[in-house]
Amino acid sequence: MINTAHRIEFFPEKCVGCQLCYKACFVDVIRWDPEAKKPIFKYVSDCEHCFCCQAVCKKEAIRVIPDYSSEHLLQSFERYA
Amino acid sequence: MNYENKNLSCDILVAGGGIGGLSFAVSIKERMPETDVLIIEKQTAGYSGKANKGGGVLQYFDPEKVQPIDFLKLHVKEIGAYLGDQEMMLKYVSMNKEMIDKLSEWGVGIPKDENGRYRVLPTGPMTAMIRANLDMTVQVRRRAEKLGVRFLDKTAMSDLLTDGGKIAGATAFSILDGTFYVIKAKAVVLATGSQNYRIGSMWSSGRGDGIAAAYRAGAEMRNAEFGNFAQLAKVKSHHEVVFGENNMYNAEGEFITKNFRKTRETDISSTAIREWYIQMINGKGPVHLEFGEGHPGPGARALHDGSKDQSYDSRFRELNEKSAAEVDTDLEVCPLFIGEQSPICVGHDMQTSVAGLYAIGDCSYCGSAAPGAVPAPPGRNRGSGILNAVFAALVCAESIAASGLGGGAEIDMAQAESCREQLFAPLNRKEGVTAKEVIALVQKAVAPVEQSVFMKQDRMEQAMQYVRKARELAGKMKAEDLHDLLACREAEAMVLSAEMHYFASAIRKESRGWFLREDYPDMDNANWLKWIILKNVNGEMTYTTRDVPIEKWPVKP
Repeated sequence: MINTAHRIEFFPEKCVGCQLCYKACFVDVIRWDPEAKKPIFKYVSDCEHCFCCQAVCKKEAIRVIPDYSSEHLLQSFERYA
Repeated sequence: MNYENKNLSCDILVAGGGIGGLSFAVSIKERMPETDVLIIEKQTAGYSGKANKGGGVLQYFDPEKVQPIDFLKLHVKEIGAYLGDQEMMLKYVSMNKEMIDKLSEWGVGIPKDENGRYRVLPTGPMTAMIRANLDMTVQVRRRAEKLGVRFLDKTAMSDLLTDGGKIAGATAFSILDGTFYVIKAKAVVLATGSQNYRIGSMWSSGRGDGIAAAYRAGAEMRNAEFGNFAQLAKVKSHHEVVFGENNMYNAEGEFITKNFRKTRETDISSTAIREWYIQMINGKGPVHLEFGEGHPGPGARALHDGSKDQSYDSRFRELNEKSAAEVDTDLEVCPLFIGEQSPICVGHDMQTSVAGLYAIGDCSYCGSAAPGAVPAPPGRNRGSGILNAVFAALVCAESIAASGLGGGAEIDMAQAESCREQLFAPLNRKEGVTAKEVIALVQKAVAPVEQSVFMKQDRMEQAMQYVRKARELAGKMKAEDLHDLLACREAEAMVLSAEMHYFASAIRKESRGWFLREDYPDMDNANWLKWIILKNVNGEMTYTTRDVPIEKWPVKP
């Protein structure tokens, strides 16, 4: 998917700086701030709503909120375009 | 842009840190412990690839119930449509237990019963599945690290370097700081995945950049026309419905599965996708799924016990299912184009036509010819994706261990510098188009299933117009930063994959296995028991055909 409108909520007070979300993101949405020891959600329009970052975070510091209307199946009929 | 240059060297360079690349690295270190193995991965090895985002199932053949030859006969007739390399498929089935045991030995969680046997779920007369924990790639990475494999994460391979037709190494760049690497290697193993065109969410890591690099380096491609997998997905959540094709109904309440399927088949077929299109074009859509009273509903959940533990598996599944359930108020479905083009041509040793360049897993599944006329795993063969990657990894390690590392090729620094210039060109353009504009055009070509799955010459021509436009714009891409630059490389690879798909599809004037053409509806064994081989010759896409040596194999039409 390209140009999605999924949202990612981050709760920095819960984050322990383990980097797992940064590692788990396979589409480079998440970068790492080495000074703050926190993730940076830098390229959110590339998010695929896979939930990998949220699933690896045992501290529940991340919440992915999908916007399915921003994903497109690209079939020719209008309702699927 | 003035990024740092760094020269590295190793014995074997592995591009791609998914289950294929990791399995190869572990296997070669087990056989040749002194070998210096470096894995480069554009994201993070152990977390990238598709194995940790799929069903977490491994195909299982019970040796007491299934002889490899019996499954081969089923596969060749029902799935591969006589186009497969029967020796390789036979070897894949024969190595089933060895592969699963290896994964278990490497630390992958595979549940066993109280007698120490794998928990098996039969799925058909000859097939069964067992579960594997989704953190398998992390476990195999840990194993590789213990064996001394080196890793360079967030580093994308950009080109392959050759010397007189032999592999000499590769170039790569850091997506974090732009460091440009020239890596000398005696052998390079591509484990970069298939081409999925950034359409399906969980398939999005397959962007074809390794395929494109191999093509540019002169490696042959085979079966590029079988890169058109599609699956039924729920229209609202876009989540796939595995086996949903058995329960399709049109708007008039007619059970339409019977139009293309007389008995239960191993998995989704392209005829199910064609049926959806026929219903829609005849005004009988939308298409939905119906399940009888007491049926648990869509999907294959029987292997998962549903316990609410805090493992990655449970959390991953629960989050995805809960999110989909919030929007899925009905079971309307339409096709999700997935692609899975995997055309790098390899021999029985997993070596490409470029000496010292190997390709394993999803980047060479169709190119190996093992499966025949079907896209990359699952390829109508559920549970074969992870195991195919492990199979190719083990075969590749075995062949390198047996033949030894070649070496002797030297890096041509002028070649490397040329690669650097071309790589960074989008960062130097002030005007131009974005990678996403190019990708959107490719998606307009390949995603509509009547242009890619149920094909006809005029509809393919329509698709090619988009691809030609994408090719024109690809030379004008600009990048704002290194993330963008990676997207530009991927966009170029998507244009190439689409070009190869339509080039080969136009040549194959028949229908065979997954490959469907409305204008050539019949399988033509007299003329098309052949593989189409594509090759880059001085910048031109050329083709030859190669006869399938069916006479030397056990299963014949």
